[in-house]
Amino acid sequence: MFVSLWRVTKFAFQDLGRNLGLSFMTVFILVLMLLSVNMLWSVDVLTSQAVGMVKEQINVSLYFKAEAIEKDVQEVNKYLGSFPEVVKIDTQTREDVLKSFQDRHRANAEVLQALDELGGNPFGPTLVVKTREPQDYKKIFTALAVPEYENLIEAKSFDGQEVGVEKIQNITNRVERLGFGLALLFGIISFLIIFNTIRVAIYTQRMEIGIKRLVGASSWFIRGPYLVESIFFTALSVAISAGLIYFSLRLLDPYLLIVFPNGFTLTNYYNSHILLLFGAQTAVVLLLTVISSSLAMRRQLKI
Amino acid sequence: MIKLEGVTKIYSQTSVGLRDINLEIGAGEFVSIVGQSGTGKTTLVKILIAEERPTRGRVNIGGWDITGISSDDIPYLRRQIGVIFQDFKLLPKKTVYENVSFAMEVAGEPGGRIDKVVPQVLGVVGLGDKAGRYPRQLSGGEQQRVAIARSLVHRPKIIIADEPTGNLDALNSVEIIEILRKINEFGTTVLLATHNREIVNNLRRRVITLRGGEIVADDREGKYRL
Repeated sequence: MFVSLWRVTKFAFQDLGRNLGLSFMTVFILVLMLLSVNMLWSVDVLTSQAVGMVKEQINVSLYFKAEAIEKDVQEVNKYLGSFPEVVKIDTQTREDVLKSFQDRHRANAEVLQALDELGGNPFGPTLVVKTREPQDYKKIFTALAVPEYENLIEAKSFDGQEVGVEKIQNITNRVERLGFGLALLFGIISFLIIFNTIRVAIYTQRMEIGIKRLVGASSWFIRGPYLVESIFFTALSVAISAGLIYFSLRLLDPYLLIVFPNGFTLTNYYNSHILLLFGAQTAVVLLLTVISSSLAMRRQLKI
Repeated sequence: MIKLEGVTKIYSQTSVGLRDINLEIGAGEFVSIVGQSGTGKTTLVKILIAEERPTRGRVNIGGWDITGISSDDIPYLRRQIGVIFQDFKLLPKKTVYENVSFAMEVAGEPGGRIDKVVPQVLGVVGLGDKAGRYPRQLSGGEQQRVAIARSLVHRPKIIIADEPTGNLDALNSVEIIEILRKINEFGTTVLLATHNREIVNNLRRRVITLRGGEIVADDREGKYRL
């Protein structure tokens, strides 16, 4: 068994070395295909990141009336906290709101003077609510649209953002649909490219396969070298494409840091998903090359 | 050694390869199968190496009924029969040495034995000094000698040669037939399919004549009749 495996591996590397042009073309096509897939993947990640960042910035502020007491605010806080859609609630006391206002208008003496003339703290407490998805805010507002709470809340800051949120939601949905469609299209194209590349490689060697069969080679001795070559082509093309991708990401990352202030970079993303990304690509390419070579060789092995 | 009983090969309603062939070839015989192109010589060779299956009849080689041989057993059959083709059928990307050793490697022969036998058989066919060359660097006659060396490595009891001189000039043809004759002298059964009149007449051995897929003559010390 060991001798047979060693011979199959030897035949595979002999074939690779003596068909350099064909080997180069096969790896070249596989690398191109992998680069395309990774580019699509990166665009999808960047889009999700951008949409996520915009969503992150959306929240709703509930401004309570000045006479609202802390118990009322705590009750609304508790009520909203019971919704699974609510991710986070920040409470600002009357004092916090006043301080924040004063800080904001420190340079404007007229505003501060007007505040003094009012005497005391004219602001009520504020709740800043954040939900999982922008469309969840509608549910929150519906829940608060009861006289018991409406009498406590003076204003909601979200009203003006509603149209913007809907637009973002529409864009997100379209991007997701487009991404899925493109991924499906690329998947089909990739399969056809790999299948044809391997088929052409085997077709050019059909005479040799026939001769091997006629001198008594078993199917294992004929298929084996192509299996080893498939593993080699896959490993080499994934390694080359990974190298090219990381090189490109290094050039792209400084620009991403400007766009995403949260420090998001594609290099970090690839690093944290390296096994999933390249493992899945290796598995899929290997599976495709092995299936393609088996299908392409079936006819030749009947001799 | 080789026994065919009522073997018929029908490709389609209008194309019949062989018709009711009954044939027995003993161990150590040198038999020429003659006939014009399309008379069934190659079909007969293909049936003997299980490249084709007979439509009817039985085929027995060395006591092994190969009529319904499974595809898994075909490699074992082919390792016991040396086959030589008109177009040599050498692996173009392998050297002379590798072409010959390949037949042994796929049969699982140990490396030490391969290292010993391959130079020996290359010496027998006079190519000991060209082991490192590729087939494209050899003449037609030399390529056919590589094919003969490859067919000999398993020390087969039977050698089947299908038009081995078809692509060779007269001088190389004589050399190839001489090698086959020597192999036969060591006890190997040789089956030579050819339409070369001169070669058959010079051999003065058994001649089986095919016409339209049927045996029309079987002479112990025959001549080319067609």
